[in-house]
Amino acid sequence: MTMTIAAETAAKPARARGALRRQGTLVLRLGALAMFALIMAWFAFTTRGFVSPANIFNVIEQTAVMGVLSFGMAVVLIGGGTDVQTGGIDLSIAANTGLCAAVYATLLAGGSGDLAAAAAAIGTGIAVGLLNAFAVVRLGILPLLATLAVMNIVAGLELTVTENQVIGANSTVTQLIATGRFLGLSVLAWIFILFSALMTWAIHYSRIGLRLYAVGGHPEAARAAGINVGAYVAGTYAFSGFCAGFAAILLVARLSASTTATGQLLLAILAAALLGTVFSRRFVPTAGGTILSTLFIGFLANGFQLSNVSYYWVNGVQGVLILMVVAVTTFAKPQGK
Amino acid sequence: MPLDTQSAIIEMQGISKRFGPVRALEEASLTIHRGRIHGLVGANGAGKSTIIKVLAGILRPDAGTIRIDGQEVTRLTPALVEKLGVHFIHQDRLLVPTATVAEAIFLRHEPRIGPFLNLRAMRRRSAELLKHYFDLDLPADALVQDLTTAQQKIVQITRALAQEAKVLVLDEPTAALVKREVDSLFRVLRRLRDDGISVIFISHYMQEIEEICDEVTVMRNGTDVGVVDPRQSGIDEIVAMMINRDMGEMYPARSVAIGAPVLEVQGLSRDGSFRNVSLTLRAGEIVGLTGLLGSGVKELVQCLFGLDRPDAGRVAIDGQEVALGSPVQAVGRRIALLPEDRRAHGVAMGLSIADNIALASMQRYAKGGLVSAAKEAAIVDGLIRDLSIKTPHRHNLVRNLSGGNQQKVAIAKWLSCQSRIYVLDEPTVAVDVGAKVEIYNLMNRLAAEGAAILLMSSELEELVGMCDRTLVIYRGELIDEFTRAEADTDSLLAAASGAARKTARETA
Amino acid sequence: MLNLSTPMPIEERLKAISNYAVIFALVVIVAGFAIAAPSFLTGANLYNLILNNVVMLAIVAIAMTIVVSSGGIDLSVGVSVDMASMAFIMLLKAGVFVGTALFAGIGAALVVGLINAILITRLRISPFLATLGILFIGQSVQKIASGGGKPVYLANAKFAPTFNAIVKSEVLGIPTPMLILAAIAIAVYVLLHKSVFGRYIRALGAQPGVAWYSGIRVPFHTSLVYIIAAGLCGVTGILLSSTVKSYVPLSGDGYLLDAIGACFIGTTISAQRRPSVLGTLIGVLLLAVTRNGLLLVGWNFYWQQVGIGLLVFAVLALSFGLRGRGH
Repeated sequence: MTMTIAAETAAKPARARGALRRQGTLVLRLGALAMFALIMAWFAFTTRGFVSPANIFNVIEQTAVMGVLSFGMAVVLIGGGTDVQTGGIDLSIAANTGLCAAVYATLLAGGSGDLAAAAAAIGTGIAVGLLNAFAVVRLGILPLLATLAVMNIVAGLELTVTENQVIGANSTVTQLIATGRFLGLSVLAWIFILFSALMTWAIHYSRIGLRLYAVGGHPEAARAAGINVGAYVAGTYAFSGFCAGFAAILLVARLSASTTATGQLLLAILAAALLGTVFSRRFVPTAGGTILSTLFIGFLANGFQLSNVSYYWVNGVQGVLILMVVAVTTFAKPQGK
Repeated sequence: MPLDTQSAIIEMQGISKRFGPVRALEEASLTIHRGRIHGLVGANGAGKSTIIKVLAGILRPDAGTIRIDGQEVTRLTPALVEKLGVHFIHQDRLLVPTATVAEAIFLRHEPRIGPFLNLRAMRRRSAELLKHYFDLDLPADALVQDLTTAQQKIVQITRALAQEAKVLVLDEPTAALVKREVDSLFRVLRRLRDDGISVIFISHYMQEIEEICDEVTVMRNGTDVGVVDPRQSGIDEIVAMMINRDMGEMYPARSVAIGAPVLEVQGLSRDGSFRNVSLTLRAGEIVGLTGLLGSGVKELVQCLFGLDRPDAGRVAIDGQEVALGSPVQAVGRRIALLPEDRRAHGVAMGLSIADNIALASMQRYAKGGLVSAAKEAAIVDGLIRDLSIKTPHRHNLVRNLSGGNQQKVAIAKWLSCQSRIYVLDEPTVAVDVGAKVEIYNLMNRLAAEGAAILLMSSELEELVGMCDRTLVIYRGELIDEFTRAEADTDSLLAAASGAARKTARETA
Repeated sequence: MLNLSTPMPIEERLKAISNYAVIFALVVIVAGFAIAAPSFLTGANLYNLILNNVVMLAIVAIAMTIVVSSGGIDLSVGVSVDMASMAFIMLLKAGVFVGTALFAGIGAALVVGLINAILITRLRISPFLATLGILFIGQSVQKIASGGGKPVYLANAKFAPTFNAIVKSEVLGIPTPMLILAAIAIAVYVLLHKSVFGRYIRALGAQPGVAWYSGIRVPFHTSLVYIIAAGLCGVTGILLSSTVKSYVPLSGDGYLLDAIGACFIGTTISAQRRPSVLGTLIGVLLLAVTRNGLLLVGWNFYWQQVGIGLLVFAVLALSFGLRGRGH
């Protein structure tokens, strides 16, 4: 005879632990928010012009490119799981943006039409994304490695297109994006706001988003529920490629040129996407978290600029912030392992 | 309308499946009738999980026919099976840990309004379903990872019910449940059966099979050896069909002279877990320890191995007070812990048998900081032979061993350490009957060689069969102690549940 | 029950082939360049290739191998390289005795490792994020210290003998840097594959919970991993600054991706996909040979990068693709 023992109190400890953790994560989320607010407040008080509407919209405009890319990365993190070693990650996203920008600027400079150039830029981005998807889903290469290799290929291609030169580009569309205004807001700001709204719907209020979280949270469970896990993961890489193409257009429009330093955005994109996970009780990327942390990083750079602190400090402060946030996150998470 | 319980909803006939040279299934058949609870039993490796995987569309059989709802299905896929109304409740709780209850229940069948998820309907309907079937008020927004095992199991079943399942396949559904939860699960299963839903119930727990099942298919060596009515046949007959072995041999007898105290615990307390626990473990003694989930037993063990720190109390080994601040110190004092979660804490699946066995006692294998291959071969091969770990070579990965052999590797690690105090936490969980007996024999041998063993188990039979004394913890306090003569499953259960003990002493 | 000793014909054979994909690729590439570029397979070219392209990367990649073996990753290898370089050059410039400057250089790298170790074992930050943070901070520190990234040159004749003694000297006809690499490779090989410490590292990499429950001092050994790795990177920092006779801020960052690439390419030679010193060295050779060969056949730097990327991609595809999906 075998027997399982009864317990009146059985459910309690697990629940109590769950409650404790819920409180812990709540404190953490509020703490992260408070820290963001505190730093903003410090800039507001110490830096002239930081809170002026002009500056705020300036930052939002500056952040539009980063925002689009952070969403691209966030979606890959959601679909691949946030384990940084084996989970989803797209290291090629910044280099891809550089390539797309090069393609876009070169075509515009060569006299191509706006539509053709934009299509080529976004097409390039998606093609690179599909290459990542093929490597990760079909060939089963670890995302970290696959996208690292693709990053090298794409960065090299960008150099061959631009020969490491800035390529000036101007068209009616880039003019419109760079200087256009609508209802008192610049077009770039509108794009950022609309893109964020669309992503919020896709991630939190659509079936796709719900299923994507399942795919990233527990692929086996998602598969058992009948979800085509491979297609979803592939989709995330294709989407991040799309984001690279889209961001490239915004970037070229804003600068009236392609730049050679786009690849350096990678760490900031990663930082924004990872910082964004702190605002979720499940410690996964969310739309709100991604927007907040992207804006925060944007304001941080802006604040440093305005307060005449050397921009050399920006990376360091970002680094410290990542460490602080993650250290606190780790302590709030359930122990064990 | 009377239910047609005679017609079969699932008929699997002549199913064969080979993996290379290994025959996992050989002409196996399984017939499930409408509105009945059908047990599926067999020792590990008998082919239970293979036939279930075939039914789930995960494995394609080499031969055989499958009919579901009277219709012959040739190419079974997981999606098709689900469409035909067959739902699987997996043993390893296939739920997304970061999903909410509502999301887990409606994943891939999400209610919508236009392009938007109908989050409110998801929450409301999941709460309704949980209330209706389980009388459970689980917040729809709770995260799956915050739920107890039982609650997760319930969410899984609810998910199947939300999709109007015709057949539920439950793989070891009670493995991590406590009695009260098992009872409520059984109530639900009976109700579903009365509604015309068929249930396939896979379990190692024979008593549950007898209690819940209307009919039982017994499997052995990749084929079905009989279909029986458990109420007529009884457990003994079913087990005999499974293993061809008499139950009486399970707990080998032993006679060992009990020696001096090895481990003495005095007034050990940890806030919120257990209070003022004192116990003594002597050389050659096997002492049982049991208590309900949440009684503090687990936490007590954690403290004895240095994984947690007690708030008060003393631990002495060989009469000398010791500090156990970490597993490093515990192992240094020759304490061994066989953890319950073998995969996370017991053995490293990705390492070889030799790596695992040597891990805790590297100083024995080392010469000047380097590992001596000769010493390793000698000690490890000796232990592999000694414990009859079934493997072609010590360099084979532990991942490729059966559960029982993995557990033997975990034990061999501590034998290599020449540990003296063995703390065994559910040592026979997920181990087949044959390996169980081997582990019991090994415990007896260790005790005979002078080791002191603390056996923690929620299988009361195991305690009754193995232990010289059994200690019972209730709500954090050591409330009772049974000698071998006094202990039986009923009185242990009563004590663990806090019922007053009726002994000769008290009635006198 | 599955029996392992009996082979599953096609799958097993494909897996076995996939273990040699990288070696096969290396042979094909060397042969290809030997034909395409006559100057490739000359003693002088190979000598320079190894001295300038292989040694320094190989040391960093070996450091990465230790960390990856323990289940972690170190994104701050470049910071360790640069800190060693910075301390070494700045102290030399300040007129400090060479030996002291050398020790200080390695010491600066060890400090980076120690900080990583504290973040990972004390604050329990995941290695990826901890070392990412240190990478950011290290970059900032260097920019601040160097006024925005201005190199510190020590080109005058006074220091030439010092630098030459480090990178241009020979022992028994073998250049010192190669000897240093050989010594490090052998030492780390023994450490990872033959020593008790190596066993602990492997256990940490396989299942840290099991290591902790086996009474292993997990935080201590994890710390050692990051400190040793940083120290090795420091050696590269010294070699690098001695070669270019200067401290160039952020120049160590260039090693990061190649080191990760080489290490993971190297894992493909093991059936368990475990990192190993030998595999890493093959990975480094593959990268260096390809870069050099592409240069010799006349590809410019840009196309070289594309070529390297494609190569790494192809090796990974072959290795992972043939092995089948999943792990």
